Amino acid sequence: MTVAELAAPAGTGEFGHLDEQSKREIRSALLTAVAVPGYQVPFASREMPVARGWGSGGLQVTLAVIGPQDTIKVIDQGDDAGVNAANLRRLIVASTGVADTTDARAASIIQTRHRVPEDPLAPGQILVLQVPVPEPLRGVERDMRELRRMHAEADYSKIWVSLYEDLVRNGVITQSTGYPVLVGGRYVMATTPIPRWDVPRLHQAGFLSLFGAGREKRVYAVPPHTSVEPLAFEDVPFQVERTEGAACLLCGAAEAYLVEVPDRHAWICSDSDWCWRRRSPDDETGGGMREAADD
Amino acid sequence: MGYAAARGGLDAILAAEELMRAKRDGGASPPLEISQLTERLNLAVDRVMGEAGLWAPDLAARALRQAEGDIIEAAHLLRAYRSTRPRLAAGLVTHADEIEVLRRIVPAYRVPPGPQLLGRTLDYVGRLLDDGTPSGPAHRPAATSGNGQASHPDHPDHPAATGTGTGGQAEDPARRSPARLLDLLRSQGMIRDRRRDDDPEPHDVTREPVRPGVPRSARLSVMARAETGALVNLWYRNILGPDGYIHEITLGEVRHGRLPVRVTHPVTGQPVRLGSVRVTEVEAIEDLDGPDEDRGVFDVGYGLCLGHNERKAIAMANLDIAVERDGGQSGLEQSVLMTTDGLDASGFLEHLKLPHYVTFRSMVDRKAAVRAAAGRPAPEQQATQQQTAQQQTAQQQTAGVTR
Repeated sequence: MTVAELAAPAGTGEFGHLDEQSKREIRSALLTAVAVPGYQVPFASREMPVARGWGSGGLQVTLAVIGPQDTIKVIDQGDDAGVNAANLRRLIVASTGVADTTDARAASIIQTRHRVPEDPLAPGQILVLQVPVPEPLRGVERDMRELRRMHAEADYSKIWVSLYEDLVRNGVITQSTGYPVLVGGRYVMATTPIPRWDVPRLHQAGFLSLFGAGREKRVYAVPPHTSVEPLAFEDVPFQVERTEGAACLLCGAAEAYLVEVPDRHAWICSDSDWCWRRRSPDDETGGGMREAADD
Repeated sequence: MGYAAARGGLDAILAAEELMRAKRDGGASPPLEISQLTERLNLAVDRVMGEAGLWAPDLAARALRQAEGDIIEAAHLLRAYRSTRPRLAAGLVTHADEIEVLRRIVPAYRVPPGPQLLGRTLDYVGRLLDDGTPSGPAHRPAATSGNGQASHPDHPDHPAATGTGTGGQAEDPARRSPARLLDLLRSQGMIRDRRRDDDPEPHDVTREPVRPGVPRSARLSVMARAETGALVNLWYRNILGPDGYIHEITLGEVRHGRLPVRVTHPVTGQPVRLGSVRVTEVEAIEDLDGPDEDRGVFDVGYGLCLGHNERKAIAMANLDIAVERDGGQSGLEQSVLMTTDGLDASGFLEHLKLPHYVTFRSMVDRKAAVRAAAGRPAPEQQATQQQTAQQQTAQQQTAGVTR
């Protein structure tokens, strides 16, 4: 490589936007993350063309692991057509030239904000989750030095006490999304904030989950076939989101993560492509969710 | 397949981009030249470079123009640009004593070692809104810079850059490289000596993330690229806020000037000067008054940032010594390290505008669960009750019954 090549104008040379040194560094952190499931690995998060807090960590992970043969799917809240998903998708596609899809089954890498697709994912697929807050214990401890000690010694008593107090005060555990889980029997991990609906789907999954927190400069991972257990008491079962009688207005699904259309007392699927395919099983052109917003 | 199907969001963001471009590049006034920004808005350009942590006046001006004057956005553009650049070389260590000052004041003494050089400052310019009359060289022929010389102090043709001093008068070169008050105080044994014998590599905050307990070099680097307003606020909060940790320092040096940048020549192996950067440097003298501290000496905090930004360098120096004295007793170090980056804070604040309906639905689910556990009516039932109440209120308002 020549100096002239190294100093080429931005955005014209590198596959995947970042320079090779940066990508190698992120891969190195990801390998550590896979080797120590649930452990938050510090990495030198780069400034990306998207703001911190807008998927900069997920974007760096995707760009570090993507190759020319990959097919990418990007969703935000489960929706391929959401503005932030569209923005991240165009950045990834423009800087790599890879194929993109909305079909979770056809994607080798799925970058997602706050959902696991409803389709069962296969071994070999990679789920890249954008993480706003990687520290599961922040609600019970603010001091970063103390947090390191707690993870190092697996001292998770404070979060157990907080769950117990929650239950005693409110009659239920009120933690909504980002439910804390114990990964591989060792580290307590924040589940991005995916809904509780998605948490059991990470347990012993065949696919690889990579979590990227760009602003807080951490990556972590759940490798395939790893236990992911929500923190719960033996006599108080973990509950996923469920509303009696709710079903998708468009496809009729009841066994999916549904979001509310409040002024109509109606529900629709959050996974827009999955919902679309259920309605149009013979259409091969791919889904989209504009109907839901428009009709 | 697929791309077209997901176009709804893409069409919207393309349209938003076009609206931004049309307003910024349209209008009746002439397009902004880069030189206009570097010359006429040079403090804003300096601030962008400082908060981006990259010395590149023309790129910073381009970023500022593209960002329509939004400093944080411009700093983001500059940092994101740098992310795509490989690191080809590291600069050689430059001693801050090599500074060639454009301004230097020492509030701690009336007659300090070296000159009190007021230089270019707004400090004593009356805060009177001008009447809009242009005041450039063409309109003020007898004033200081009427000779057509470049007005940006970083411009190579600027008088200060040629070493001739301002106004073309002959000047003692020592005035531009003054002695330090700190050296004098140190020789008098007045300063707690925290200098170390080893020479560790500085912590590179762009390559290694920081967390509490990092070396001082990391703390200084973080503050050097911190958002100015964040540092000023953190300083003031700790002066006047409910959990104050620090007190005011006395300024021993406030300097604005040029520092040379050198690298090792890849062929000859000799140091070669690439150019210079302008920096603001501050030394803050701290009165040690803690029960376990030596009351017979002072200590010193240090601030240095790219460009002319005294507000930032002073806050930095005061916070530096405050963290040192705090010794991890309070959360001050974590606040300095983790909460002062402009891109981090702004990005995270603004991410609240992203769709959050997946998480919100989950919260609503928990509200329903709490209500069910307490035997309260479900949200839907309450909604019906509220609708009725709202209708009643609306009827009352229509009838003119308002409070």
